[in-house]
Amino acid sequence: MIGVGKTKQYANVLDRPISKGKQEVSLSAFAFLFSELVQYNQTQVDNIAELERRLEDAGYAVGARVLELLCHREKGNRRETRLLGILSFVHSTVWKVLFGKVADSLEKGTEHEDEYMISEKELLVNRFISVPKDMGTFNCGAFVAGIVRGVLDGAGFPAVVTAHFVPVDGQQRPRTTILIKFAEEVLVREARLG
Amino acid sequence: MSVCVAVVGHQNNPLYIQSFTDADDALKLHHIVHCSLDVIDERVNNPKKSGPLLNETFLGLLYPADNYKVFGYLTNTKVKFILVTTDVDVRDASVRNFFRRFHSAYVDAVSNPFHVPGKKITSKTFAGRVSAIVSSFGSSTTTD
Repeated sequence: MIGVGKTKQYANVLDRPISKGKQEVSLSAFAFLFSELVQYNQTQVDNIAELERRLEDAGYAVGARVLELLCHREKGNRRETRLLGILSFVHSTVWKVLFGKVADSLEKGTEHEDEYMISEKELLVNRFISVPKDMGTFNCGAFVAGIVRGVLDGAGFPAVVTAHFVPVDGQQRPRTTILIKFAEEVLVREARLG
Repeated sequence: MSVCVAVVGHQNNPLYIQSFTDADDALKLHHIVHCSLDVIDERVNNPKKSGPLLNETFLGLLYPADNYKVFGYLTNTKVKFILVTTDVDVRDASVRNFFRRFHSAYVDAVSNPFHVPGKKITSKTFAGRVSAIVSSFGSSTTTD
């Protein structure tokens, strides 16, 4: 039937149910906050590697909490025990909650068995950041790498996670790749589980 | 009547223990909680093919001891929740519900930026919520 909908028209505005509120955070608010985070850390360190490590540690704390929250809220309390399971969880669910969309691609590394890559055309955190030439290969995506490391570590898959710029032809800004290298014990366990 | 709840971290370090009766010896309760950790480890590391799925969080009745029943619940980050109760007849669904609400309170406590993961949970709001959940669990099972 035309016009049959779920919303009722309330005569009195006080009768309307309270809305859940907007589920989004303003991008500018986040960009300003993140820029302050980077600036603050820059005053505390002497070299680039230290700055990258600090951003990663900040992301690690976020990742640990996000894992707890998401497992309870979204996944109906199922634990992930397989490698591909946890990777697809990070790639879709975590990305969706943090950035509003799933990651662009998830690939398995060709050279080593234990390497996986999540690629993104433009990381949300890097959108308003351009790194000066004298900082070399520094990537603020280290924050996101820290988040991924926090999620994987909390779920029982220790890994080394780093963020890299990968230049792409035909595009001005390079693509960002998060490289995940799992620890030995994860592969051993995965082989045992068959 | 629930006697005690405990939260144990992934390296089996205690994060929160709260007992709800003054009569029983706190040490005995701690001991029961400790023994149940072994049962959990055994269940997690040697999954029975015909048993529950590998990735279920609710572990069910761990083992009966004296007149206590011990229930376990494992989160995704290997944090374990233990519930010790003296209720004679406890329904599975109500225990699952209890753990779900407990997990909710735990997630809120961990999201606190001042909480260091691996240290004890010191939040008073968490303690208050846990007492509320326990008392509603206790009253729901006795009225049935």
